[in-house]
Amino acid sequence: MKPLYEIPEEISRENTVEKKLKHLASIKRSFFVYRVDAGSCNGCDIEIFSVISPWWDPERLGFKLVASPRHADILVCTGSVTRMMRYPLIRAYEAMPDPKIVVAVGACGCTGGIFHDTYATWSGIDSHIPVDMFIPGCPPHPATILDGFGVALGILQQKLKHQSYTDDSGKPPAPVKSIFKNLQVERDLNINCRELMGYIHGRKLYDRCMQILTHATKPDDISEVREGVENFIKQEEDPRYGECMRVLYNGVYLNWMDKFYGLKKAGKELYQI
Amino acid sequence: MKLLEFANKGGNSTLPYPFEPYTPGEDYRGKPEYDFEKCLGCGACAVACPSNAISLKQNSEKDLLIWELNYGRCIFCGRCDEVCPTGAIRLSQEFQMAVLFNKEDLKVRGEFKLKKCKKCKRPFTTERLFNYQNEVLNSLNPSRKTDPDSGICPECKQKQAVENSAKYFHMGGKK
Repeated sequence: MKPLYEIPEEISRENTVEKKLKHLASIKRSFFVYRVDAGSCNGCDIEIFSVISPWWDPERLGFKLVASPRHADILVCTGSVTRMMRYPLIRAYEAMPDPKIVVAVGACGCTGGIFHDTYATWSGIDSHIPVDMFIPGCPPHPATILDGFGVALGILQQKLKHQSYTDDSGKPPAPVKSIFKNLQVERDLNINCRELMGYIHGRKLYDRCMQILTHATKPDDISEVREGVENFIKQEEDPRYGECMRVLYNGVYLNWMDKFYGLKKAGKELYQI
Repeated sequence: MKLLEFANKGGNSTLPYPFEPYTPGEDYRGKPEYDFEKCLGCGACAVACPSNAISLKQNSEKDLLIWELNYGRCIFCGRCDEVCPTGAIRLSQEFQMAVLFNKEDLKVRGEFKLKKCKKCKRPFTTERLFNYQNEVLNSLNPSRKTDPDSGICPECKQKQAVENSAKYFHMGGKK
Protein backbone atom coordinates (compact mmCIF):
# COMPACT_ATOMS: atom_id res chain seq x y z
CA MET A 1 0.00 0.00 0.00
CA LYS A 2 1.16 3.52 -0.79
CA PRO A 3 1.94 5.58 2.34
CA LEU A 4 -0.52 8.34 3.14
CA TYR A 5 2.15 11.01 3.01
CA GLU A 6 5.45 10.55 1.24
CA ILE A 7 8.21 12.63 2.76
CA PRO A 8 9.98 14.66 0.06
CA GLU A 9 13.52 13.50 -0.63
CA GLU A 10 15.21 16.78 0.32
CA ILE A 11 13.57 16.59 3.75
CA SER A 12 14.48 12.94 4.43
CA ARG A 13 18.09 13.60 3.29
CA GLU A 14 18.47 16.37 5.90
CA ASN A 15 16.75 14.47 8.71
CA THR A 16 18.94 11.46 9.48
CA VAL A 17 19.48 10.38 13.09
CA GLU A 18 23.13 11.45 13.05
CA LYS A 19 22.27 14.96 11.89
CA LYS A 20 19.57 15.29 14.57
CA LEU A 21 21.91 14.12 17.35
CA LYS A 22 24.63 16.45 16.11
CA HIS A 23 22.15 19.32 16.09
CA LEU A 24 21.05 18.55 19.67
CA ALA A 25 24.65 18.33 20.89
CA SER A 26 26.08 21.35 19.08
CA ILE A 27 23.27 23.85 19.59
CA LYS A 28 24.53 27.01 21.32
CA ARG A 29 21.17 28.63 22.11
CA SER A 30 17.73 27.76 23.50
CA PHE A 31 15.60 25.03 21.96
CA PHE A 32 12.54 26.56 20.36
CA VAL A 33 9.47 24.42 20.74
CA TYR A 34 6.34 24.64 18.65
CA ARG A 35 3.23 22.81 19.74
CA VAL A 36 0.64 21.26 17.39
CA ASP A 37 -2.70 20.00 18.68
CA ALA A 38 -3.64 17.40 16.07
CA GLY A 39 -7.06 16.64 17.49
CA SER A 40 -6.38 15.84 21.13
CA CYS A 41 -8.93 16.09 23.95
CA ASN A 42 -6.86 18.97 25.49
CA GLY A 43 -5.69 16.83 28.41
CA CYS A 44 -2.12 16.66 27.07
CA ASP A 45 -2.16 20.37 26.19
CA ILE A 46 -3.14 21.32 29.73
CA GLU A 47 -0.27 19.16 31.04
CA ILE A 48 2.15 20.85 28.61
CA PHE A 49 0.97 24.24 29.90
CA SER A 50 1.51 23.06 33.46
CA VAL A 51 5.05 22.02 32.46
CA ILE A 52 5.91 25.55 31.29
CA SER A 53 4.69 26.96 34.61
CA PRO A 54 7.33 28.14 37.15
CA TRP A 55 6.78 24.97 39.18
CA TRP A 56 8.54 22.79 36.60
CA ASP A 57 10.18 25.52 34.52
CA PRO A 58 11.80 23.90 31.46
CA GLU A 59 13.16 27.32 30.43
CA ARG A 60 16.06 26.81 32.85
CA LEU A 61 16.99 23.85 30.60
CA GLY A 62 16.57 26.06 27.54
CA PHE A 63 13.17 25.04 26.20
CA LYS A 64 11.13 27.98 24.98
CA LEU A 65 7.74 27.97 23.27
CA VAL A 66 7.50 29.90 20.02
CA ALA A 67 4.50 30.97 17.98
CA SER A 68 5.58 29.84 14.53
CA PRO A 69 6.90 26.52 13.21
CA ARG A 70 9.43 28.44 11.08
CA HIS A 71 11.35 29.33 14.28
CA ALA A 72 11.11 25.89 15.86
CA ASP A 73 13.69 23.15 16.45
CA ILE A 74 11.28 20.79 18.16
CA LEU A 75 7.71 20.01 17.14
CA VAL A 76 5.60 18.77 20.07
CA CYS A 77 2.50 16.99 18.76
CA THR A 78 -0.51 15.84 20.73
CA GLY A 79 -3.63 14.05 19.60
CA SER A 80 -4.46 11.10 17.43
CA VAL A 81 -4.45 13.01 14.07
CA THR A 82 -8.04 13.58 13.08
CA ARG A 83 -8.87 13.81 9.40
CA MET A 84 -9.11 17.61 9.48
CA MET A 85 -5.85 18.13 11.42
CA ARG A 86 -3.76 15.88 9.18
CA TYR A 87 -2.98 18.57 6.61
CA PRO A 88 -2.12 21.35 9.14
CA LEU A 89 0.20 18.88 10.90
CA ILE A 90 2.04 18.10 7.66
CA ARG A 91 2.21 21.82 6.82
CA ALA A 92 3.75 22.62 10.20
CA TYR A 93 6.25 19.78 9.72
CA GLU A 94 7.30 20.97 6.28
CA ALA A 95 7.59 24.58 7.44
CA MET A 96 10.15 23.71 10.13
CA PRO A 97 13.84 24.28 9.40
CA ASP A 98 15.99 21.13 9.08
CA PRO A 99 16.81 19.04 11.06
CA LYS A 100 13.28 18.57 12.40
CA ILE A 101 12.84 16.90 15.78
CA VAL A 102 9.34 15.58 16.44
CA VAL A 103 7.98 14.60 19.87
CA ALA A 104 4.69 12.72 20.24
CA VAL A 105 3.05 13.42 23.60
CA GLY A 106 0.31 11.27 25.11
CA ALA A 107 -1.16 7.89 24.34
CA CYS A 108 -3.03 9.32 21.33
CA GLY A 109 0.10 10.86 19.87
CA CYS A 110 2.17 7.69 20.35
CA THR A 111 -0.15 5.03 18.94
CA GLY A 112 -3.66 6.45 18.69
CA GLY A 113 -4.52 5.56 22.27
CA ILE A 114 -8.12 4.71 23.01
CA PHE A 115 -9.16 6.21 19.64
CA HIS A 116 -6.83 3.96 17.63
CA ASP A 117 -9.60 2.16 15.75
CA THR A 118 -12.19 4.85 15.16
CA TYR A 119 -13.03 5.87 11.61
CA ALA A 120 -12.29 9.57 12.17
CA THR A 121 -8.61 9.36 13.13
CA TRP A 122 -5.34 8.26 11.55
CA SER A 123 -4.18 6.82 14.92
CA GLY A 124 -0.86 8.31 15.89
CA ILE A 125 1.53 11.02 14.77
CA ASP A 126 3.95 8.44 13.35
CA SER A 127 1.38 7.28 10.80
CA HIS A 128 2.31 10.43 8.86
CA ILE A 129 5.58 11.99 9.98
CA PRO A 130 8.65 10.30 11.52
CA VAL A 131 8.66 10.67 15.32
CA ASP A 132 11.87 10.81 17.39
CA MET A 133 10.53 10.75 20.91
CA PHE A 134 7.49 9.10 22.45
CA ILE A 135 6.12 10.32 25.78
CA PRO A 136 3.29 7.97 26.83
CA GLY A 137 0.62 8.80 29.38
CA CYS A 138 -3.03 9.71 29.32
CA PRO A 139 -2.27 12.53 29.93
CA PRO A 140 1.44 12.33 30.80
CA HIS A 141 2.46 13.68 34.20
CA PRO A 142 4.43 16.96 33.87
CA ALA A 143 7.41 15.06 35.29
CA THR A 144 7.12 12.54 32.43
CA ILE A 145 7.23 15.33 29.84
CA LEU A 146 10.20 16.91 31.61
CA ASP A 147 11.81 13.46 31.73
CA GLY A 148 11.46 13.34 27.95
CA PHE A 149 13.25 16.69 27.62
CA GLY A 150 15.95 15.43 30.01
CA VAL A 151 16.48 12.25 27.96
CA ALA A 152 16.70 14.29 24.76
CA LEU A 153 19.39 16.50 26.31
CA GLY A 154 21.28 13.54 27.79
CA ILE A 155 20.77 14.61 31.44
CA LEU A 156 18.75 11.47 32.20
CA GLN A 157 18.92 7.87 31.01
CA GLN A 158 16.02 6.27 29.20
CA LYS A 159 14.37 3.95 31.74
CA LEU A 160 11.92 1.98 29.62
CA LYS A 161 13.44 -0.95 27.72
CA HIS A 162 11.83 -3.61 25.57
CA GLN A 163 11.05 -6.61 27.79
CA SER A 164 10.56 -10.05 26.31
CA TYR A 165 9.95 -13.22 28.32
CA THR A 166 10.25 -16.42 26.30
CA ASP A 167 11.23 -19.08 28.86
CA ASP A 168 7.88 -20.43 30.01
CA SER A 169 8.31 -23.55 32.16
CA GLY A 170 4.56 -24.04 32.62
CA LYS A 171 5.02 -23.78 36.39
CA PRO A 172 2.24 -21.69 37.94
CA PRO A 173 2.63 -19.38 40.97
CA ALA A 174 1.88 -20.99 44.33
CA PRO A 175 -1.80 -20.72 45.33
CA VAL A 176 -2.75 -18.60 48.35
CA LYS A 177 -2.96 -20.50 51.63
CA SER A 178 -5.70 -19.80 54.13
CA ILE A 179 -4.88 -18.95 57.75
CA PHE A 180 -8.34 -20.19 58.80
CA LYS A 181 -8.11 -23.52 56.89
CA ASN A 182 -11.04 -22.22 54.83
CA LEU A 183 -10.29 -19.99 51.85
CA GLN A 184 -13.82 -18.61 51.80
CA VAL A 185 -13.08 -16.36 54.80
CA GLU A 186 -10.26 -14.64 52.95
CA ARG A 187 -12.37 -14.43 49.81
CA ASP A 188 -15.22 -12.84 51.76
CA LEU A 189 -12.84 -10.37 53.42
CA ASN A 190 -11.26 -9.46 50.08
CA ILE A 191 -14.60 -8.90 48.34
CA ASN A 192 -15.90 -6.74 51.19
CA CYS A 193 -12.66 -4.69 51.25
CA ARG A 194 -13.06 -3.95 47.55
CA GLU A 195 -16.74 -3.16 47.93
CA LEU A 196 -16.01 -0.71 50.74
CA MET A 197 -12.95 1.11 49.41
CA GLY A 198 -12.37 0.20 45.77
CA TYR A 199 -9.55 -1.96 44.46
CA ILE A 200 -6.52 0.23 45.23
CA HIS A 201 -7.43 1.29 48.78
CA GLY A 202 -9.30 -1.98 49.32
CA ARG A 203 -6.05 -3.86 48.72
CA LYS A 204 -4.31 -1.75 51.37
CA LEU A 205 -7.20 -2.38 53.77
CA TYR A 206 -7.01 -6.13 53.09
CA ASP A 207 -3.27 -6.12 53.81
CA ARG A 208 -3.91 -4.38 57.12
CA CYS A 209 -6.65 -6.91 58.00
CA MET A 210 -4.22 -9.73 57.35
CA GLN A 211 -1.59 -7.96 59.45
CA ILE A 212 -3.95 -7.85 62.43
CA LEU A 213 -5.02 -11.49 61.96
CA THR A 214 -1.49 -12.83 61.60
CA HIS A 215 -0.27 -10.67 64.49
CA ALA A 216 -2.68 -12.44 66.85
CA THR A 217 -1.41 -15.78 68.22
CA LYS A 218 -4.47 -17.48 66.70
CA PRO A 219 -6.59 -15.83 64.00
CA ASP A 220 -9.77 -17.29 65.54
CA ASP A 221 -9.04 -15.92 69.03
CA ILE A 222 -11.80 -13.30 69.05
CA SER A 223 -10.76 -11.22 72.04
CA GLU A 224 -7.20 -10.81 70.76
CA VAL A 225 -8.34 -9.85 67.24
CA ARG A 226 -10.79 -7.41 68.77
CA GLU A 227 -7.98 -5.79 70.72
CA GLY A 228 -5.94 -5.52 67.53
CA VAL A 229 -8.82 -3.88 65.65
CA GLU A 230 -9.44 -1.41 68.47
CA ASN A 231 -5.76 -0.48 68.55
CA PHE A 232 -5.79 -0.06 64.77
CA ILE A 233 -8.82 2.28 64.92
CA LYS A 234 -7.12 4.37 67.60
CA GLN A 235 -3.77 4.64 65.82
CA GLU A 236 -4.94 5.07 62.19
CA GLU A 237 -4.86 8.69 61.06
CA ASP A 238 -7.19 8.16 58.08
CA PRO A 239 -10.69 7.68 59.58
CA ARG A 240 -11.91 5.79 56.47
CA TYR A 241 -9.67 2.82 57.18
CA GLY A 242 -10.74 2.69 60.83
CA GLU A 243 -14.44 2.78 60.01
CA CYS A 244 -14.13 0.16 57.26
CA MET A 245 -12.11 -2.08 59.57
CA ARG A 246 -14.89 -1.83 62.16
CA VAL A 247 -17.50 -2.78 59.54
CA LEU A 248 -15.39 -5.75 58.42
CA TYR A 249 -14.87 -6.97 61.97
CA ASN A 250 -18.54 -6.69 62.95
CA GLY A 251 -19.91 -7.99 59.70
CA VAL A 252 -17.55 -10.51 58.11
CA TYR A 253 -15.24 -11.73 60.86
CA LEU A 254 -17.86 -12.26 63.58
CA ASN A 255 -20.22 -13.93 61.07
CA TRP A 256 -17.57 -16.46 60.14
CA MET A 257 -16.63 -17.07 63.76
CA ASP A 258 -20.34 -17.63 64.43
CA LYS A 259 -20.43 -20.17 61.62
CA PHE A 260 -17.30 -21.96 62.89
CA TYR A 261 -17.95 -22.01 66.64
CA GLY A 262 -21.60 -20.99 67.05
CA LEU A 263 -21.44 -17.83 69.16
CA LYS A 264 -24.58 -17.21 71.15
CA LYS A 265 -26.64 -14.18 70.19
CA ALA A 266 -25.75 -12.33 73.37
CA GLY A 267 -22.11 -13.37 72.87
CA LYS A 268 -22.05 -11.95 69.34
CA GLU A 269 -23.29 -8.60 70.53
CA LEU A 270 -20.77 -8.74 73.35
CA TYR A 271 -17.87 -8.95 70.90
CA GLN A 272 -19.05 -6.13 68.63
CA ILE A 273 -17.20 -2.83 68.58
CA MET B 1 14.78 46.46 42.25
CA LYS B 2 11.88 46.74 44.69
CA LEU B 3 10.02 44.07 42.77
CA LEU B 4 13.07 41.78 42.88
CA GLU B 5 13.34 42.18 46.64
CA PHE B 6 9.65 41.38 47.00
CA ALA B 7 9.99 38.32 44.78
CA ASN B 8 13.00 37.10 46.76
CA LYS B 9 10.90 37.09 49.92
CA GLY B 10 8.67 34.41 48.36
CA GLY B 11 11.61 32.12 47.75
CA ASN B 12 12.18 29.65 44.95
CA SER B 13 9.30 27.32 44.15
CA THR B 14 10.78 25.53 41.11
CA LEU B 15 11.31 21.81 41.61
CA PRO B 16 14.86 20.59 40.96
CA TYR B 17 13.47 17.59 39.09
CA PRO B 18 15.74 16.54 36.22
CA PHE B 19 18.81 16.96 38.43
CA GLU B 20 17.34 15.42 41.56
CA PRO B 21 14.84 12.53 41.82
CA TYR B 22 11.16 13.29 42.17
CA THR B 23 8.43 11.17 43.77
CA PRO B 24 4.83 11.70 42.66
CA GLY B 25 1.90 11.60 45.11
CA GLU B 26 0.78 8.44 46.85
CA ASP B 27 -2.26 7.83 44.63
CA TYR B 28 -0.46 8.51 41.34
CA ARG B 29 -1.36 5.98 38.64
CA GLY B 30 1.98 5.19 37.07
CA LYS B 31 3.34 2.55 34.75
CA PRO B 32 1.68 -0.89 35.10
CA GLU B 33 4.47 -3.20 36.23
CA TYR B 34 4.37 -6.72 34.80
CA ASP B 35 5.59 -9.81 36.66
CA PHE B 36 5.97 -12.74 34.25
CA GLU B 37 6.48 -15.32 37.02
CA LYS B 38 3.05 -14.63 38.51
CA CYS B 39 1.15 -14.39 35.20
CA LEU B 40 -1.16 -17.27 34.26
CA GLY B 41 -1.99 -16.14 30.73
CA CYS B 42 -5.72 -16.24 31.50
CA GLY B 43 -6.36 -13.11 29.42
CA ALA B 44 -8.64 -11.32 31.90
CA CYS B 45 -6.56 -8.15 31.48
CA ALA B 46 -6.84 -8.28 27.69
CA VAL B 47 -10.64 -8.49 27.95
CA ALA B 48 -10.81 -5.66 30.49
CA CYS B 49 -8.41 -3.27 28.70
CA PRO B 50 -10.56 -0.51 27.16
CA SER B 51 -7.91 0.78 24.77
CA ASN B 52 -6.56 -2.62 23.59
CA ALA B 53 -3.11 -1.86 24.98
CA ILE B 54 -2.96 -5.49 26.13
CA SER B 55 -3.38 -8.00 23.34
CA LEU B 56 -3.37 -11.79 23.19
CA LYS B 57 -2.66 -13.82 20.09
CA GLN B 58 -1.31 -17.21 19.03
CA ASN B 59 1.85 -17.62 17.05
CA SER B 60 1.79 -19.18 13.59
CA GLU B 61 2.62 -22.71 14.85
CA LYS B 62 -0.22 -22.40 17.39
CA ASP B 63 1.85 -23.73 20.29
CA LEU B 64 2.51 -20.41 22.04
CA LEU B 65 0.25 -17.71 23.41
CA ILE B 66 1.77 -14.25 23.04
CA TRP B 67 0.80 -11.63 25.61
CA GLU B 68 1.76 -8.08 24.70
CA LEU B 69 1.43 -4.77 26.51
CA ASN B 70 2.02 -1.48 24.70
CA TYR B 71 2.69 1.40 27.10
CA GLY B 72 2.20 3.80 24.21
CA ARG B 73 -1.47 2.89 24.06
CA CYS B 74 -2.09 2.42 27.78
CA ILE B 75 -4.41 4.98 29.42
CA PHE B 76 -3.52 3.99 33.02
CA CYS B 77 -7.09 3.23 34.06
CA GLY B 78 -5.97 0.25 36.17
CA ARG B 79 -8.63 -2.18 35.02
CA CYS B 80 -6.01 -4.85 34.35
CA ASP B 81 -4.84 -4.37 37.93
CA GLU B 82 -8.41 -4.75 39.16
CA VAL B 83 -9.15 -8.02 37.38
CA CYS B 84 -5.77 -9.79 37.69
CA PRO B 85 -6.30 -12.89 39.89
CA THR B 86 -2.65 -13.32 40.93
CA GLY B 87 -1.39 -9.73 41.02
CA ALA B 88 0.90 -10.15 38.02
CA ILE B 89 0.15 -6.65 36.77
CA ARG B 90 0.12 -3.74 39.20
CA LEU B 91 0.07 0.02 38.78
CA SER B 92 3.34 1.44 40.17
CA GLN B 93 4.67 4.90 40.99
CA GLU B 94 7.03 4.85 38.01
CA PHE B 95 6.66 7.91 35.77
CA GLN B 96 9.88 8.04 33.72
CA MET B 97 8.62 6.54 30.49
CA ALA B 98 9.94 8.71 27.67
CA VAL B 99 11.46 6.72 24.80
CA LEU B 100 13.96 8.06 22.29
CA PHE B 101 13.84 6.85 18.65
CA ASN B 102 12.89 3.20 19.24
CA LYS B 103 9.16 2.50 19.50
CA GLU B 104 9.75 -1.17 20.42
CA ASP B 105 10.97 -0.02 23.86
CA LEU B 106 7.36 0.75 24.75
CA LYS B 107 6.38 -2.90 24.54
CA VAL B 108 6.40 -5.81 27.02
CA ARG B 109 6.02 -9.32 25.66
CA GLY B 110 5.47 -12.69 27.29
CA GLU B 111 5.16 -16.12 25.70
CA PHE B 112 3.16 -18.97 27.24
CA LYS B 113 3.07 -22.63 26.30
CA LEU B 114 -0.37 -23.77 25.22
CA LYS B 115 -2.08 -26.91 26.52
CA LYS B 116 -3.42 -29.12 23.76
CA CYS B 117 -6.65 -31.07 23.99
CA LYS B 118 -6.17 -34.83 24.44
CA LYS B 119 -8.74 -35.65 21.76
CA CYS B 120 -8.75 -33.05 19.00
CA LYS B 121 -5.11 -31.89 19.57
CA ARG B 122 -6.16 -28.26 19.37
CA PRO B 123 -4.86 -25.74 21.98
CA PHE B 124 -7.49 -24.52 24.43
CA THR B 125 -5.70 -22.98 27.44
CA THR B 126 -2.23 -22.23 28.74
CA GLU B 127 -0.32 -24.88 30.65
CA ARG B 128 0.16 -22.56 33.59
CA LEU B 129 -3.55 -21.91 33.98
CA PHE B 130 -4.31 -25.64 33.75
CA ASN B 131 -1.71 -26.52 36.41
CA TYR B 132 -2.80 -23.63 38.63
CA GLN B 133 -6.42 -24.83 38.62
CA ASN B 134 -5.34 -28.33 39.65
CA GLU B 135 -3.10 -26.99 42.41
CA VAL B 136 -5.81 -24.74 43.86
CA LEU B 137 -8.41 -27.52 43.80
CA ASN B 138 -5.96 -29.94 45.41
CA SER B 139 -5.07 -27.45 48.15
CA LEU B 140 -8.78 -26.96 48.94
CA ASN B 141 -9.53 -30.68 49.01
CA PRO B 142 -6.47 -32.90 49.59
CA SER B 143 -8.44 -36.14 49.05
CA ARG B 144 -9.60 -35.02 45.60
CA LYS B 145 -9.27 -37.55 42.78
CA THR B 146 -8.15 -36.27 39.40
CA ASP B 147 -10.99 -35.92 36.92
CA PRO B 148 -10.70 -38.46 34.07
CA ASP B 149 -11.99 -35.80 31.68
CA SER B 150 -9.32 -33.22 32.59
CA GLY B 151 -7.17 -32.12 29.69
CA ILE B 152 -10.07 -32.16 27.23
CA CYS B 153 -11.27 -28.96 25.65
CA PRO B 154 -14.84 -27.73 26.37
CA GLU B 155 -16.01 -28.51 22.83
CA CYS B 156 -14.85 -32.13 22.99
CA LYS B 157 -16.35 -32.46 26.47
CA GLN B 158 -19.69 -31.28 25.09
CA LYS B 159 -19.55 -33.78 22.23
CA GLN B 160 -18.57 -36.57 24.61
CA ALA B 161 -21.47 -35.81 26.92
CA VAL B 162 -23.93 -35.83 24.01
CA GLU B 163 -22.52 -39.13 22.69
CA ASN B 164 -22.68 -40.74 26.13
CA SER B 165 -26.25 -39.70 26.76
CA ALA B 166 -27.29 -40.80 23.24
CA LYS B 167 -25.73 -44.20 23.91
CA TYR B 168 -27.51 -44.35 27.26
CA PHE B 169 -30.91 -43.71 25.68
CA HIS B 170 -30.18 -46.09 22.82
CA MET B 171 -29.51 -48.88 25.30
CA GLY B 172 -32.89 -48.26 26.88
CA GLY B 173 -31.62 -46.63 30.03
CA LYS B 174 -29.12 -49.39 30.89
CA LYS B 175 -25.46 -48.61 31.39
